[in-house]
Amino acid sequence: MRTSVRKNIILLAFAIFFMLIFILPNLWMLFGSFKDQNAMFSLPPVWIPDFTYIKNFTIMLSQSYMYLLNSLIVTIGSTIVTLIFSLPTAFGLTFFIFRGQNFLADWILSTRMLPPVAAAVPLFILFKYLNLLDSLFALIIVYTAFNIPFAVWVSASFFRRIPKDLIEASRIEGASWFDIFLKIAVPLSKGGIATVAIFVFIFSWNELLIALFFTVSEARTFPIFISAQVSQAQIIWGNVAAATVIQSIPPILLTIFLQKNIVSGLTLGAVKN
Amino acid sequence: MNREKIEKTLFILPTCLFLLAISIFPFIYSVYLSAFQAKLTKMHRKFFIGWENYQILLFEDDVFLTAIQNTFTIAFSSITIEIILGFIMAKIFFEIRHLKISNAIRTISILPIMLTPLCVGLVFLYILNPTLGIFSYIVETFFGLEPIAYLGQPIPAKISIICINSWQWTPFMMILLLAGLMTVPNEQYEAAKIDGANWYHVMTKIEIPSILGFMLLGIVLRLIECIRLFDIIYVTTRGGPGIATEVMAYFTYRTEFRSFQIGTGSASAVIILIISIIVTTIAVTLLRRVERDADFS
Repeated sequence: MRTSVRKNIILLAFAIFFMLIFILPNLWMLFGSFKDQNAMFSLPPVWIPDFTYIKNFTIMLSQSYMYLLNSLIVTIGSTIVTLIFSLPTAFGLTFFIFRGQNFLADWILSTRMLPPVAAAVPLFILFKYLNLLDSLFALIIVYTAFNIPFAVWVSASFFRRIPKDLIEASRIEGASWFDIFLKIAVPLSKGGIATVAIFVFIFSWNELLIALFFTVSEARTFPIFISAQVSQAQIIWGNVAAATVIQSIPPILLTIFLQKNIVSGLTLGAVKN
Repeated sequence: MNREKIEKTLFILPTCLFLLAISIFPFIYSVYLSAFQAKLTKMHRKFFIGWENYQILLFEDDVFLTAIQNTFTIAFSSITIEIILGFIMAKIFFEIRHLKISNAIRTISILPIMLTPLCVGLVFLYILNPTLGIFSYIVETFFGLEPIAYLGQPIPAKISIICINSWQWTPFMMILLLAGLMTVPNEQYEAAKIDGANWYHVMTKIEIPSILGFMLLGIVLRLIECIRLFDIIYVTTRGGPGIATEVMAYFTYRTEFRSFQIGTGSASAVIILIISIIVTTIAVTLLRRVERDADFS
């Protein structure tokens, strides 16, 4: 008994040590966001900042609220459009039986693996031709395309948990596929769909590369705004820290929500918890 | 019957068309563009040059070859670190899973996974500031070592990128392997105990074989991510110093959108594409197999 308590304490200490490795860098940035330019890099360091100093945040928010708004519109927009396309497809791949079913599923999955950078220039030319460059609409479309494969696969892994008998019974009673989808499959997979939505939200929220290619001024997203802050000759680190904190809030909150399903999502539904 | 067919088609076809237009078309168009000498700014004047872009990239362009090499050095080093640390962490969390507090510690530990990669880069750019950063300060005061320009010298920069990359993704490997450890039947541990097996035997004979599928899955998924590594490089080193941390995705971006050489850029994109397709084929097979033959629930 004695040794097992000792063992637990040692293991716990190691666990806390690892936790600190993964949280301290973030905390240091968070603390930095409450410092002025001098305190940011003073030696010895200012360990605990004055948390009432919020000038970095007010400056950043007043300069960038439109970019934050852009980010929110693009993120929420692409999350909704992704779900509208993906959920029916995932349902179909799970419950319909047709030729080439597996091939189609694999094909959809494999588009997830294609590197976005390889699609950037052709899409740039396409949207330039359509006169849609630097528009939120273009970003929503592209983010949706990149998120659909993920959403289809993970939703399908949740739909598969619905008992097949239930679907068959409704079919015999004469319900249309559309009814079954909307009234049985979706309500029964609410948790799974929320997981998919959260992941898609975070992916879009975090996206940098495509936005870098596609936006010039009007449609700039918040990550583009942040990266512009560090390409200036004189980096105002307090502001950068504040912007980083703002950008990190949604992913952190949502990760805590995800908890149980995070492994499942990150492995495209291959691992269930 | 016919109505049912139409209904079923409506479920699936829109997504396929959408993916064809926005996902597949661009890749085919990239292949087409890679056969030309073209500038993004003067698209109407492009010359067909066939294989030349590929020839230049693969046989003459040292920067591109370095970029490929760097990409794989970074990928293999990061993934190795992630597997080893991830396994150790998974094992620790597995042993203390009955403690209430372990849940909270685990949740905090996995926060980096979902953080914006751009922000991860910025956090370390701030910490690793050579003269005034906190890392230099700690290294100097507690270990008495002279601080160096971590991101400003070739080898330290490469190591820094590997560390930043693994910092973000070790927690992913940890929860994946933890999920794997949870599937090991308790009887096997009991049996090993009775046989008097030590921890090393338990690890090599029981644990690793039963989580091998999870490990492979993790490796492949991470490999796909590493091939497209861009954000962290973009914000910390921009491929520098020199070309020490140049990677494939960043090279492509630079060629296409800084020098506007979309012919060369597309060729580089296509090469990344081919590498990805090879990795992907393995990945899809694996995902299907892992999903089919093991019940992970």
